[in-house]
Formats: sequence, structure tokens, C-alpha cells
Amino acid sequence: MNLAIDLMQAFLLIAVAPLVSGVVARCKARVQNRRGASLWRPYAELLKLFCKEDLVPDTASALFRFAPAILFAATVTAAAFIPVLHPAALFGVSGDIIFLVYLLAIGRFFLMLGAMDGGSSFGGMGASREALVSALAEAPLLLALISVAILTHTVSVSGIVTTTLQQNPFHLSAVYAFALGALVLVALAEAGRIPVDNPATHLELTMIHEAMVLEYSGPSLALIEWASAIKLTLIMALLIGLFAPWGMATNASITVLLFAPLLFFFKLVVLAATIAIIECSMAKLRMYLVPDFLGMASALAILAVSFTALMR
Amino acid sequence: MGLIELAAAKALASSAVFLFITLLMMAAAKRISTCIVLFSLQSAIMASEILSMAWVGKSAEAYAVAALVIVVKVVAIPCALFRIIKDLKASQDVASSTTGVQSVFIMAALILLSFFAVAPYAVTLRLDEDMLAAAVALLLAGAFLMVSRKKALMQVIGLLVLENGIFVAALTTTYGMPLVIEIGIFFDLLMGVFLMGLFVFRIRDTFEHLDVSKLRRLRG
Repeated sequence: MNLAIDLMQAFLLIAVAPLVSGVVARCKARVQNRRGASLWRPYAELLKLFCKEDLVPDTASALFRFAPAILFAATVTAAAFIPVLHPAALFGVSGDIIFLVYLLAIGRFFLMLGAMDGGSSFGGMGASREALVSALAEAPLLLALISVAILTHTVSVSGIVTTTLQQNPFHLSAVYAFALGALVLVALAEAGRIPVDNPATHLELTMIHEAMVLEYSGPSLALIEWASAIKLTLIMALLIGLFAPWGMATNASITVLLFAPLLFFFKLVVLAATIAIIECSMAKLRMYLVPDFLGMASALAILAVSFTALMR
Repeated sequence: MGLIELAAAKALASSAVFLFITLLMMAAAKRISTCIVLFSLQSAIMASEILSMAWVGKSAEAYAVAALVIVVKVVAIPCALFRIIKDLKASQDVASSTTGVQSVFIMAALILLSFFAVAPYAVTLRLDEDMLAAAVALLLAGAFLMVSRKKALMQVIGLLVLENGIFVAALTTTYGMPLVIEIGIFFDLLMGVFLMGLFVFRIRDTFEHLDVSKLRRLRG
């Protein structure tokens, strides 16, 4: 039974990911007073791309072909570490918060290699920018996760979620507020959302993700787009799991099992609306201001870790 | 335990953290109007703390003080400051001499410093360490804002933050001062803000800017 739920929640994260980016796009359109595209458009786009021919530049080596598959595989594996419906995950070992961070890093590393292998100057530019952003985002991400791990005395994602779930929401430690602040800033950078990168346009000289995938087409592009949608959903699910896990199924009764996915979708939609509001109310930062943005996340994360010792 | 008691206890226990968060956001803020909104929020957090103290201690004076805080610090002073900004027609930039990330790191260091500064007293006086640290952090943060921001209006806001620190310190150590003294302090503060507003206008009219780092010579 538990294995079935584990499999189901990992599958759910992967299958629902394009819908989540559809919801974010729709919320954004609503905030900007537009009607917006259908919620299912990302699925149609993926289907269209999967039916198309895969064009590879003459200068590219085999790496260019493999990179999207490795990115997709790493992201899907990372998704299997996230507790969604109940406080356990398909894979879960002691210390997997660190493994999770570096699984995402592996995917990103191969995407950068593929972008540079494509041979266009945009690819190299995007890859160098992505390297800068990810190097700066790594420290606050790890520190914020570790501060929560120190509080809950466990270093696995499912362990942290289990411990948080047992606490009364009113009795949460203050450290959670700082860790949440740091993780939200990092999440915006990791998922390539607006203050750091604009996912909606090819036309800006400051683009990061779009510059890297410019040479990709067909099924490869579909894999990359799907992987980045999964990454966004995964980060949102991680935030939900760490900071608002209440409502997850703690036993295997039918009502609880029906209730847990509904509540999870509700939380996802709330988060998506929050992202949409942030994206509509902020301007994209200049590239040179991104280190400032992530530096603030680092300051928050350092405070979170110090407060595990200072405050109770 | 009723919901109100629970909320009051939670407000008492976690107001220090919310005060720290407003301080960090003030350090990151790039516009004067954001700082004013944050100051108003900070005062609202203090007001909620006094309200919960009043609820727990069943004291009518504390309710009066909370009402004063809400009227003067949450509404009146921010409105006056917004009015000054509107009439000044100057740019909104805080003109910080440190970059955003430097300010946030300095603010984080000040918060940590305040914890170490109050640790000996909190043990001997048996006080709530978090709130005492929040008071010291507000004092330090107000001073830091006054030193590092070049706009004349930010000196006013820094001073107000500093005053909030003194208020929180009084609240934690002696559970607030007598009502008469509180009223006197609030009246002083209101007058102070009006006077400083006048000064800001004089600075603007005489020097045609608000940058205090350029005020080096006397001018008639």
C-alpha cells in the first residue's frame, strides 16, 4: 500500500508538472487582466514537440543529444525524493537533502554542457550565466535546508516532513520563517522565475534558460521543457512539504487518501498564484544585481542556521 | 485554552521574529515609501504585542497604550511621512552608501550581535531573551539606517526605528511605562516628526537636494 502511494506521488509530480506551469501562466494572465491560454496548453505543446523532427547542429557532438535525456532523468529521480501525499517518499535515505540538491545540479550541469556543445554563442552565454546563478544559489539552498534539518534532528526530506507534520502549526520554531524566506528567494532563482530569469520570452539579451535551449528542437526540447516544469513543481512541493505539510495522509484510510491530493492541489494553486503575483509586481533584475538578490537569500539562510542555536 | 489566548501567546512568542524580518526588509528596501510601510508594519507588530500583554495581564492601561501606538505610529506618522514625500516631489531612492546585499548582511550581523549583547542580562534579570534582543537590534538598526542612508527623510525613519527599540526595551524590562509618560513620549514623537518634516523642507529649499552627505558648509 505504501509503495503504491510512493509510486503514485512520484508519478503525480511528473504528470502534473506541465499543468502547474499552465496554472502559473493563467494566474499571471489574470493578474495582468488578460484571459490567458488554456490550462492544458503545455501538454499540447509537449505533444507537438514530441512529434517533430530532432534537428542537431553540424558542430554538435553526441553530448548534445544525451544532455536532455540526462537532465530529464536526474529531475525525475529528484522528484522521487519528495513526499507529496504522505510523509514518505519512493527513495529516501539519510542525508538525501544534500543528494536532492546535487541531483538538480547534475541535471543543470548537463544542460549547460549541451548548451555549450550546440555551438551558438547564445548557448555559451546562457550557460555561463546559469553557472553564475546556480553557484550563488547553492549555498543558501543547502544552508536553509540544513537549518530545518537541525531543528528536526533528521537529514532526510521525508524525516523532516514527518517531524514537522507531528508539530502543532502554532508551536513551530521561529527559524522556519527565516528558512522559508531564504528558500523562496532561492526557489525563484532555481526555477528561473522573474526577478532572476524571464521564462516567457526569447527576446531579452538577459535571458538565461531560453538562451541555453535555443539550439534544441523536437523531442529534445520537449524533454528539457518538461524537466524544467517538473523542477518548478518539485521545488513547490518541497516548500509545501517543509513548511505546510498539514493535511498529508498519515494513515491509509480512503477519506484521508482522497483528501490529501485535493489539499495538495489547493496548496499548489495558492503557491502558483503567489508566484504569478511576484512575477507581475517585480521587474526582472539586471544580471549584475542577481548576486545581490541571492546574497540576501544567503544572509537569511545564515541567520536561520544561527538561530537554531540562539532561539527555541 | 481558547483561540484568543493561543493567538495572544503566539503573538508574544513570535513578535521578535517578525520584528527581525521587518528590519531585514528595511535593509533591503530601495525606496523610502517601502521603508515607511515597513515602519508602520513594525509598529503594528508592537501594538499586537502590547494587546496580547494587555489580554494576558488584564490591564486597562495597556489597552490605552496599544491604542496610542496604533493611532500615532501605525497611522499618523506614516501618513505624515507619505504626505511629506508627496509634497517634496523628490526621488524615492534611499541613496544608500552600502549596496543592498551589504546592508542585509550588516543587519543580520547586528541582529546576531544583539543576541550576544543581551545574553548575560537576560539570564540574570530573568527576561525574555528574544524580545530584549529585538529591542537592542531595533536600536542598532535605527542607528545603522541613519548612518548609511543619505536621504534626509531616512534619518527621520532611522530615528523612529530607534525609538521603537527603546519602546520595546521598556516594554520587556518593566512591562511598559506609566500611561502619563507614554502619552508624553508619543506627543514628543509626533512633534519631533513634524519638526523634522519642516527641516527636510528647509534643507530641500536651501540646498535643492536632500542628500545629507553633501551638507558640509553653513548657508544662510
